[in-house]
Amino acid sequence: MKPIRLAAGLGAAFVLSATVSTIALAQAPVCSAPVKVLAQPRDGLTLLEDSKAEFEKLAGAGFQIDYLNENDRRAKSRADASTVGNYNVYYVDEANVALFASSKWIVPLTDYYPADYDYADFDPGRQKVATYDGKVWFAPLTGGGDLMVYRKDVLEAAGIQPPKTLDELIADVPKLTNPDKGMYGIALRGARGSGANVWRWMPFFKAYGGQWFDGDKPAFNSDAAVKATEAYLKLFKDSAPGTQTGSWDESTGAFLSGQVAILVESTPLSGMSVDPKTSQVVGKIGFLPPPSPLPGGGYGHGLAIAAKANADDASKKCAGLFIAWATSKENEKRRLDAHQFGELNRTSILSSKEFADIYGADLGQALAATGKVTAVNFWQDPRWPDLGDRWGIILEELVTGTRTDVKGGLNELEAYANELVKKK
Amino acid sequence: MARRTSLPVTFVVPTIAILLVLSMVPTLYAIVIALQNRELSTPDYSWVWLSNFVDLFLDRRFLNAVWVSVKWEIVTVVATMVVAIGLGVLMFEVASPRQRNVYCLLFIIPVLLPRVSAAFVWKFAYHPLYGIATYPYRLITGGLIFDPLSKPATALFAVASVDVWQWGLFFAVIVLKLLETLPPQPIEAARLDHARRWQIHAYVTLPMLKAPLISLMFVKMIESLRSFDLIYVMTRGGPGVATETLDMYAFSQGFIESGKVSYASAMAVLMMIATVITFTMLWKRVQA
Repeated sequence: MKPIRLAAGLGAAFVLSATVSTIALAQAPVCSAPVKVLAQPRDGLTLLEDSKAEFEKLAGAGFQIDYLNENDRRAKSRADASTVGNYNVYYVDEANVALFASSKWIVPLTDYYPADYDYADFDPGRQKVATYDGKVWFAPLTGGGDLMVYRKDVLEAAGIQPPKTLDELIADVPKLTNPDKGMYGIALRGARGSGANVWRWMPFFKAYGGQWFDGDKPAFNSDAAVKATEAYLKLFKDSAPGTQTGSWDESTGAFLSGQVAILVESTPLSGMSVDPKTSQVVGKIGFLPPPSPLPGGGYGHGLAIAAKANADDASKKCAGLFIAWATSKENEKRRLDAHQFGELNRTSILSSKEFADIYGADLGQALAATGKVTAVNFWQDPRWPDLGDRWGIILEELVTGTRTDVKGGLNELEAYANELVKKK
Repeated sequence: MARRTSLPVTFVVPTIAILLVLSMVPTLYAIVIALQNRELSTPDYSWVWLSNFVDLFLDRRFLNAVWVSVKWEIVTVVATMVVAIGLGVLMFEVASPRQRNVYCLLFIIPVLLPRVSAAFVWKFAYHPLYGIATYPYRLITGGLIFDPLSKPATALFAVASVDVWQWGLFFAVIVLKLLETLPPQPIEAARLDHARRWQIHAYVTLPMLKAPLISLMFVKMIESLRSFDLIYVMTRGGPGVATETLDMYAFSQGFIESGKVSYASAMAVLMMIATVITFTMLWKRVQA
């Protein structure tokens, strides 16, 4: 019996140790080192840092987020991705996802995005922006289109109905400007950049029928571009001070501090404008889709897995897990609870009762209506940031009066576009 | 005897070797890259030799950047030296020793501020609606708007004023300390000859300080070449290209807009050559 007992004991010990090893393997930490993230400041990411311990428990390692403002983040991530590859996760956006994907600086996300986290739950428009060349590259942190946000009290006092067309907008804005009372008809973006002044100019370009390219031939040096630029410059005469060399921060800041009557801007503004912590115009504003035929500027920012810093599959899985966790339903719910409107991307959250309770029906209706006119206005190509930034400088020169020839500026841009096309 | 002569070599050679590696390797690498057509978005490249340099001289933004850099250098160096000498002499003449100590402490604070912090502080100070620096204009004109950073005619001077605020005040302290070290006899002799205060400084004290003042000017000239952070934060080279200096444009081409690192390196190489030639000529002229 003793040998039998011994054999049974050894067998049991083997089974036990094998089981323990399997459990240990199954629970082996996904991450062996903290995930390094290069991002731009977002309330949602700041909130995420409060839950760092949760990710450490989940993945076995923490994370570190380095923040730079939008233009600096773009420059730094581009330099990092093409050289040393210090970061495991990059914050990318609609303007540079094509460049990052085609340069193989990031890897397709869905290969490493755990299925449990339900990527399909993201807003379809944002999924579309995150897709390039048939593959998904990032998980959205923010996104959407444009809304027209206006001061009901100011328009009523002036006897003006909210403009429904672009012509009405152009006609109404000068009537609403009254510098003596610190009120300006509109706020636009003048600062250079494909994501700054060019972003706000592009809906005008599209509204007048403009196209960037016809095949490989530049087609933007057109009457549409001239008209769009002239309309933009005309409106700029009534744009709030500080916006001539400013961007999102300056134009939304002017509106939220009560100095602007009408603002057509990206959708996160609407959430900010109803939040007493950020807005001095709560209760005085209305929402509508952009005046027709202005299309909304469809955009999306999110997190992508870096290729260079994640040389092996295990690192990619770790980065994928971080992105999935950071954009999970649980974390998005926390952002909703913190009233971070601009940080919400999942349909399950946007259509929830809690969302409607916080933001009201008006905003929900306006968001639904603007969704129908939201479009991708930029040239979806890796060379877009190069071309867009070049136009941004010329446009800033036009806005600030350094140059006055719109056609000459477009000719210069076309010559540059032809160089870009030749290099392909 | 042989041991004595080899000791300096033992100490000097490794140091010189490290310095050579640290300075020459990046320089040579920049020159090599400038002769290629490297871009960040692709690992492929070929040798284009002087093509980048030829392109630069056909590039209106590059030519504009050269002109802006020259203006920036002249404005900041001249204004800094004028403020430094003016304030230094003023403190020397009218302030008591205790007051001088207080002024010195106050005047050193701006230069201790990190450049980026100073840039942000002044960017807000120049805000057309809320800025403290634009407040007097709004007050005098009854609320008219003045936005110095968005006007091509004023943007460079507005940014330069921050540079002068930091360095002019700091140099004023140095000038004061230099004046205090001068022997009193020549000044007393000039007073006995009924020289006016300005004449004493114009013909006695400042000529006596010619060598240290020239050194200060050279320090400022070198410092002014490195004003990228200040301009980047305050205007990003704008409005348009009104404040785009060579280093700003090189960075834009290399990392912000198109990722053309070879083109940016060509600019850096030209800047290096121009700086070495200019400083050598100036130095020789001053010594002569």
